[in-house]
Amino acid sequence: MVKPEILEQLRREPGAEDLDLSWLERPAAERGLEVKVGKRGLTLDDIAVGSYGDVPETTRNQSGRLRGSAPRPDAQNMAAHWPYKAESWSESATMLYEEALQRQWSSATDIPWHELPEMDEDLELAMSQLCTFLTQVEFIAGDEPGKFAPNISGDHFEIGLFLATQIMDEARHLDVFRKRALANGVGLLQAGTGAVGLLTAQSFIEMTVQLHIVGEGFVQSVFRMGELFAHSEVDKRIFRLSAQDESRHVAFGVMHMKHFLETEPERREEVHTYLDRMEGQVGVVPNQSGLTGGGETTEALAILLGGGTSEAKLNEGYKKLLAIRRRQLKEYVHRLEVAGLGDRVERMPDRMRVFLQAAPN
Amino acid sequence: MPDTSTTPEQEKTATQEQAPPPFQPPPLDMGWAKTPTERPPKPEFGPEGFTLRMADVGSYRFAPDHWPFKNDTPRGAWPVPGDRHGLAAPYTIYDKDEVWAENAADLYELAIQQRWAPATEISWGSIEALPEHIEASLDQIYTQLSEQQYNSNQALMGWLQQISYGYHEVKLYLSTQIFDQARHVEAFRKRALYNGGGLGVQMPGFMNRTVAAAFKFTEVVVYINILRGSFTLALAEWGDRIGRSQADQQLFQNTARDLRRHLSYGAEHLKYYLRSDTDHVSLVHAWLNRGEIMLAADLRRDKALREALILSLGDTVLEGKARLKELREAQLQQYLETLASATLYDRADKLVPTMKEMIESP
Repeated sequence: MVKPEILEQLRREPGAEDLDLSWLERPAAERGLEVKVGKRGLTLDDIAVGSYGDVPETTRNQSGRLRGSAPRPDAQNMAAHWPYKAESWSESATMLYEEALQRQWSSATDIPWHELPEMDEDLELAMSQLCTFLTQVEFIAGDEPGKFAPNISGDHFEIGLFLATQIMDEARHLDVFRKRALANGVGLLQAGTGAVGLLTAQSFIEMTVQLHIVGEGFVQSVFRMGELFAHSEVDKRIFRLSAQDESRHVAFGVMHMKHFLETEPERREEVHTYLDRMEGQVGVVPNQSGLTGGGETTEALAILLGGGTSEAKLNEGYKKLLAIRRRQLKEYVHRLEVAGLGDRVERMPDRMRVFLQAAPN
Repeated sequence: MPDTSTTPEQEKTATQEQAPPPFQPPPLDMGWAKTPTERPPKPEFGPEGFTLRMADVGSYRFAPDHWPFKNDTPRGAWPVPGDRHGLAAPYTIYDKDEVWAENAADLYELAIQQRWAPATEISWGSIEALPEHIEASLDQIYTQLSEQQYNSNQALMGWLQQISYGYHEVKLYLSTQIFDQARHVEAFRKRALYNGGGLGVQMPGFMNRTVAAAFKFTEVVVYINILRGSFTLALAEWGDRIGRSQADQQLFQNTARDLRRHLSYGAEHLKYYLRSDTDHVSLVHAWLNRGEIMLAADLRRDKALREALILSLGDTVLEGKARLKELREAQLQQYLETLASATLYDRADKLVPTMKEMIESP
């Protein structure tokens, strides 16, 4: 609080007759914080001190006011912000936000494009087809969090900040896979069914299940296996960097689901219904011509994994693709366990559970 | 990755196939490799790397006036056959003039090159203890900046799902603006809470509500990138007069650099929009009228912000008031220059009365 004698002095100054200064005299927000810069600079966690670190479980703040600032009695109501912390909160959001800022990369300059080698034509075609698929679906994962961001209350603003980093990452993914398809003389090829279905989510938890836990989780497993199917250092680097981004999104989702299930246990069965749908148990099949189903992207991946189109190489490619699918499923189950849904395996359809069994010799 | 789009036939198949037989590799098909899409020339990579402008050549660069695909087909790819099309997306913007700016691709790459991290790239240690009323004044200004950027950020994020996939340069550029705004929310909040401070009073909210309630994308660009952007850029360019430390000045300089890109997109989009239909001029003026009224209402009612600017800009109240008038004039000038670069030259004569009053007697 400003000392009374300073305020008195200000009020006596020429020209000060129309000054109110009540905001200095009786500040409604907490002041005098002791904030220290940590080892990783001044992070969001470093400033979550005093009342500024108290994230309310419920809020009536509908005005866009950011947590901790002094409310106005005449604040206007926009009636769009979710009142419940559990609706969107993820304990990892602040850490992942800061990490995202530190780990931004440029598809223009951080990929050694000039080292891109001439590849066998079939391999280059397959790579371009895979990139066509990825450039098609990646920004759906930007549109989707954008859809829900306007509902995040100023009391839970950290979630909005994290979502902005995800949108930036997905933009870069659309961009880098598009560039890769256009970099070596082939260009974009066949578009697939795409991922528009993900945009049907009606709640944040449904989005998290569809997008973070299933969609991005499955893509992350593929990116992490890039060493197996990328045929140049350029491609390996693209997949490594993209996997790094994707890991943050998946981590956010896992921790959101964990928080959600812990704080809203009565909605556990609701979460299972979203998983039922994503696992194809209500008559909806994983028909996306992509990474787990049939179609052009699967064949392209098999060609890349086998190293060519001869029968022997293609068979080898499909064997490796099955190994990727096993890994996708195992990592999916692990995410569910961490989020508190370890019992999900019992509900999975056999055609998914079969991939969790030991690989045949 | 699973999808939720399906056909009845596929649903039937899924129900029947609970435990599929051992996997048999299908015969080689490669029909996808025969799609008649354009084979682009191999690019020559320059010092700026491999930019979007270099990548999108020939038909890949051509953004049609109307985007024909209802799903997420990338521009230049061969569209999926009708029987596998899946769901139509919720996009509502299929016309180029509603979103386009010729510089979007370049601004996207520039934004990535100019990225910064407030946690580690601001000299937080340079901030020294200030008289409490000065620190509180700075904190009030930072509170306002943080809140308005959160409002702009939320609104823009919500518009992404309206823009069809064919105008990918715009979606990519907007992602950088969204990312910038998140950084501004964070950076100014950090500064307000540092140095023994705290947040100030929230904004009156007329402009925030107007941004959130915009019906059209160009309308929201007018509010965020043209009007609010111009006023905020001029303020940030006065950062050396407002801030007291190297950290304050870095914050303002970095923010100003981001905002120049936002204004650049806004002006270029508005220019394209105005050029596409003569009826658009009256629409734009209607949005400008509304925006000016709301911004002026905010400025008039925000006593805390007004007084914070007076106290931080001058050594005396009188000097602070004189400086505030100069700042308002600089903000108006920036606004009119931005509009002029969008080919709207006559706004000075059309300013709403309350905005004029706000500039003349701030």
